[in-house]
Amino acid sequence: MRCRSSESKLSFCTCVVWVLLTVLFRATAAPAQDTAVSEPRLTFEQHVAPILQTRCIRCHGADQRESGLDLRRRFTMLTGGDSGPAIVAGDSSGSLMMELIDERLMPPEDEPELSSSQISTLRRWIASGAAIAGDIEPPLPDTPAGGDSIDETARQHWAFQPIAEPAVPAVRNQAWVKTPPDAFVLAELEARHWQPAVPASKATLIRRLYFDLTGLPPRPDDVTAFVNNQSPDAYEQVVDRLLASEHYGERWAQHWLDVVRFAETEGFEYDRHLPEAWRFRDYVIDSLNEDKPFDQFIREQIAGDEIRPDDVEYQSAAIFHRLGAVRRNAGNPEIALSRNEVLTERTNIIGEVFLGLTVGCARCHNHKLEPITQKDYYRLQAYFAATHEYDISLVSPEEKQAWDEQAAEIKDRISKLKKQADTQTTEQKAQLQQKLQQIASRQPPVPSTIPSIRNDEKERTPIHVLRRGLWEHKGVAVGPRPLSVLVSATEPELPAEITAPRTQLANWLTSEHHPLTARVVVNRVWQYHFGAGLVRTANDFGTHGSRPSHPELLDWLATAFRGHGWRLKPLHRLIVLSNTYRQSSRGRHESETTGADPDNRLLSHFSRRRLSGEEIRDAMLAVSGRLNPKLHGPSVITPVDPEMMSLLYNPTQWIVTKDVAEHDRRSIYLIAKRNLRLPFLEAFDAPALQTSCPLREESTHAPQALELLNGKLANDMAAAFADRLTRECGQDPERIVDRAWLLATAREPTTRERELSLEFLRSEPLQEFALAVLNLNEFIYVR
Amino acid sequence: MCADQHSAAFGFTGRRDILRGLGSAALASLFHRAEGRAGELRAGGGRPDRGRADRGSPLEPRVVHRPARARSVIFLFMAGGPSQLETFDPKPLLNKLHGQRRPAEFGEAKYQFVQNDARLLGTKRRFRRHGESGIEVSDLFPHLSTCIDDFAVIRSCTGDQVVHSAAQYELFSGRTTPGYPSMGSWALMGLGSDSDSLPAYVVLPDPLGALEAGQPMYMNGFLPAAYQPTMFRPGERPVLNLEPPAHVDLPQRRRTLKLIRDLNESTLPSGDNELEARLNSYDLAFRMQTRAPEVFDLTRETRETLDLYGIGTAPTDDYGRRCLMARRLVENGVRFVCCVSGGGPGNMQWDAHADIEENHLRKASETDKPVAGLMKDLKRRGLLDETLVLWGGEFGRSPEAQGGKGRDHHNLGFTMLMAGGGIRGGQVVGATDDIGLRAIESPHHFRDIHATMLHQLGLDQHQLTYRHQGRDERLTFLEGQVIREII
Repeated sequence: MRCRSSESKLSFCTCVVWVLLTVLFRATAAPAQDTAVSEPRLTFEQHVAPILQTRCIRCHGADQRESGLDLRRRFTMLTGGDSGPAIVAGDSSGSLMMELIDERLMPPEDEPELSSSQISTLRRWIASGAAIAGDIEPPLPDTPAGGDSIDETARQHWAFQPIAEPAVPAVRNQAWVKTPPDAFVLAELEARHWQPAVPASKATLIRRLYFDLTGLPPRPDDVTAFVNNQSPDAYEQVVDRLLASEHYGERWAQHWLDVVRFAETEGFEYDRHLPEAWRFRDYVIDSLNEDKPFDQFIREQIAGDEIRPDDVEYQSAAIFHRLGAVRRNAGNPEIALSRNEVLTERTNIIGEVFLGLTVGCARCHNHKLEPITQKDYYRLQAYFAATHEYDISLVSPEEKQAWDEQAAEIKDRISKLKKQADTQTTEQKAQLQQKLQQIASRQPPVPSTIPSIRNDEKERTPIHVLRRGLWEHKGVAVGPRPLSVLVSATEPELPAEITAPRTQLANWLTSEHHPLTARVVVNRVWQYHFGAGLVRTANDFGTHGSRPSHPELLDWLATAFRGHGWRLKPLHRLIVLSNTYRQSSRGRHESETTGADPDNRLLSHFSRRRLSGEEIRDAMLAVSGRLNPKLHGPSVITPVDPEMMSLLYNPTQWIVTKDVAEHDRRSIYLIAKRNLRLPFLEAFDAPALQTSCPLREESTHAPQALELLNGKLANDMAAAFADRLTRECGQDPERIVDRAWLLATAREPTTRERELSLEFLRSEPLQEFALAVLNLNEFIYVR
Repeated sequence: MCADQHSAAFGFTGRRDILRGLGSAALASLFHRAEGRAGELRAGGGRPDRGRADRGSPLEPRVVHRPARARSVIFLFMAGGPSQLETFDPKPLLNKLHGQRRPAEFGEAKYQFVQNDARLLGTKRRFRRHGESGIEVSDLFPHLSTCIDDFAVIRSCTGDQVVHSAAQYELFSGRTTPGYPSMGSWALMGLGSDSDSLPAYVVLPDPLGALEAGQPMYMNGFLPAAYQPTMFRPGERPVLNLEPPAHVDLPQRRRTLKLIRDLNESTLPSGDNELEARLNSYDLAFRMQTRAPEVFDLTRETRETLDLYGIGTAPTDDYGRRCLMARRLVENGVRFVCCVSGGGPGNMQWDAHADIEENHLRKASETDKPVAGLMKDLKRRGLLDETLVLWGGEFGRSPEAQGGKGRDHHNLGFTMLMAGGGIRGGQVVGATDDIGLRAIESPHHFRDIHATMLHQLGLDQHQLTYRHQGRDERLTFLEGQVIREII
């Protein structure tokens, strides 16, 4: 039975078969005293359990039963888990467990591999018939089933509790309480014997409010009117006017677009443009402006196509599912892999945006930190089993056909030209590139299409628990079901082929009793008003996320929000009318609070905030008088430095919008292209546009200064600002300086500022002065 | 660029903390460094160890996790995927099996275009042993082969993806989807900047065009924008916004800057670190404006050095210039330089689908002398000891022919090179099977390359983390294995 290495392959194989046959024979018939191989009889208890105990049981046994697998007994191994039996007695190479170990898939990659002697023991034990020491194994201890169930104590986590309706706390300084949130904030401050900051000045407050609610600076007339208005409800009037302004929707839409990873191109190699993804942006702006109930807003985005398939607005909402990056693949088709990538993206985003939970971590294994099982993950994915891309044409078939023909012809010409490029010199290539641009720009506008989705029953993907998240490794099939930790243990799965599955999902998310959705929404709103949420991790309310600084306030707000029919505007009013919001950004007790509360979680003053890149650009346009306030419509592509084009794999996609007036529109209307972001916005921490961004960074670094000093945008704006100042103030330097300050900072210059400016203007160009004003801290920050 | 929670690695507790601390002390240290630079950099070979009372400015030099061997990285990115079979991994059996189907015992492979019934393609290249190490290098690299004793040749590299964009993301960020920080951004976050007048992470793209994965491949992902790369542009003025617009001269701009400083200082509350940091960023910007152009000026080099890189000679001029720029950058404290060979349509990269001979002869003739020149130049200046050089692409190429003369993408076994920065050269690590299909001996995933790179920089893959969407993200994603035999 010895295999000599010099033997041919054929005889080697025969040899293996012979060994296997012998082993099989022994496993089924031969008693243990077979002497062909002189080694001790291997038993589960004596040889195998110790290995499993130290290396496997943690995930497949006592506390957890990942993939439904329990390795505590031989009988549970024979039964196996979601992927079938773990072992086949007598057949080690046919045993799933050995396959996974051999492929280095188990133990998981973040743990050391089994030693070769351990592997050999397991293999020989199975091959020799997977014996147990006695005749019968003891039953399993009576513990709750793991694997696809969660640790019941996790239900106690605050965020999974029903939303409470806490009473507004009593405070000593009752006079300070303008709206109920003030009482919650003040109670915490009083408990530490701290006092809130003094109120911000009217000029500071109106600038803060304008940027907060509209993303634009107040005009000088607005400032003056407010400062001079002595009526007790002067502030309230401004609040109501701004909430009614169309610019409110533009400002708050940007927040939502960040969270839902809005971009108008697919990323990866092709970075294909979805020509009318802007409809989603307009849908969000309009929904916010009309103060659409947020539960309805959520339902439309998750299931708009199911609820009203013939309604442009609802279909535009459903573009939500098309916003993720998509990897398209030339060459050999990888349909199942691509499908798996799309389903993954669509599932993960639901967790981040609506649940505030990092469900994506449970794709490959039970969540390491949160009570989310792998089965939970795939049950969530099952709501999307039939969801497929569906482009809805808004033009007649004839128009569509005419366009298709024209486009095909242009494509043909481009590809022929491109083929030449391979053999050309750099210079010829540049010429060719120009020619390509010209041809591409002659392309007629794409006929109106909504890049939506629909349920396609014929193309339904059966959803399985996937071992390590790999589509090839299918485990047990699952149907849609909410996360275990949020429903009762007996809640059944829905049938896999249920109609309108995403409506079910949306209804669950927005149901009366859902503990997360409303909390997540009000926390986001609070975060955008104050720069930080009551829960700092806006996309992570799990047990490892940040705990709320004011848990009762969070619940009170969530309750009030639902009480107002899930409308945002009453919530904004409660917040911006509060005294908490109206505090100065200089704390009254800074020496104490900076040490004890460096992040100002207790809100003893207002937290200063740097404007986002979009706000800075919009404010420069507004201040210089160049802003084009037009709402809605196709996204604008602005000219960029020619060298920027070389960063694009397909530069012909960057077709600059012809109407130059469009170039001065608000930043939310600029195209969100994954593979080319505007350097100006990039420098000021605009999101990467690839995944959900719950909160913008605020970093400070030299390229920002270079943008504001030398960048084309800043210098163009400075020139326009200088023109405006001349137009409005003539040659009078004193008026120019005052006006510039009022426009850019909503206040008069200090004596020192006036002196410095007048001195500069005596010998230096006005445009350089204008540029300096656009570089003021006070212009870039909101106090 | 997207704040959720912050890294525990450096004790950040909130996003404002990152800014806290670039106060006047930090500014003083910048100036101090500016004066004492040359001696300081030469002295230790490693990173100068500055005592710092303050913490947290995004680009201040940081205390590393372990003794560092390298201070900077130059990644010679052979984009498109150079063939292991034509370069550093000779396979005599492949030539014997030329024209046949792959024997079953070599197992399966998935390619982007080639089907499983494709025929094997022998190589026309000749391999010869070089240097004291006797490592085999093909005749594509007559110059590079003279430096082979400095290189560790890792013949068993693997990645997870066989299409460009996803493989390029994985090569740079350890993840196959965009949106994750690149190794340059991670290195910068871990080490901080070592230059007071240059961007700390620079990409020198091929002027022929962009790559499939586009700009997101080089980006900082969810890390703060301070860790973003600076993309150099071709021509005399490589950095965007480094000069004032045409209508303003430098003295004028200096007076404007003074006005900005005076105005901002006049309203600056005392002890306001965040706004002071903003003020200081203008000083740094101005220093970049005035000093960086000197660094970018290659005419300051001797003719002998220019010749060493092949500058002024047709095929090598462009890559030679960029390799020389890379040396000048690391010499002046830049942390990470990515010098890209290949851009635009596939055949302008190492992406030899149509004709491996034509493509690789051309790409090698453009890069061989510059790479060798860079190695020799770094070495004679004592910079190789503190500069880790990495050579490679996002994957290798198939043993099978595509369309008769080309090779398809291939991710199961290919070669990358590492040198300098404490890497023990003159040795071969790992092996592929007899047709160069699959890494069969000590396979090393990209994350092992990443882990090794971080290790040499004095960074620990487990400590260099950043909390994002509830996960402590790291460059090596799952876990990389430091390649012990080469360090």
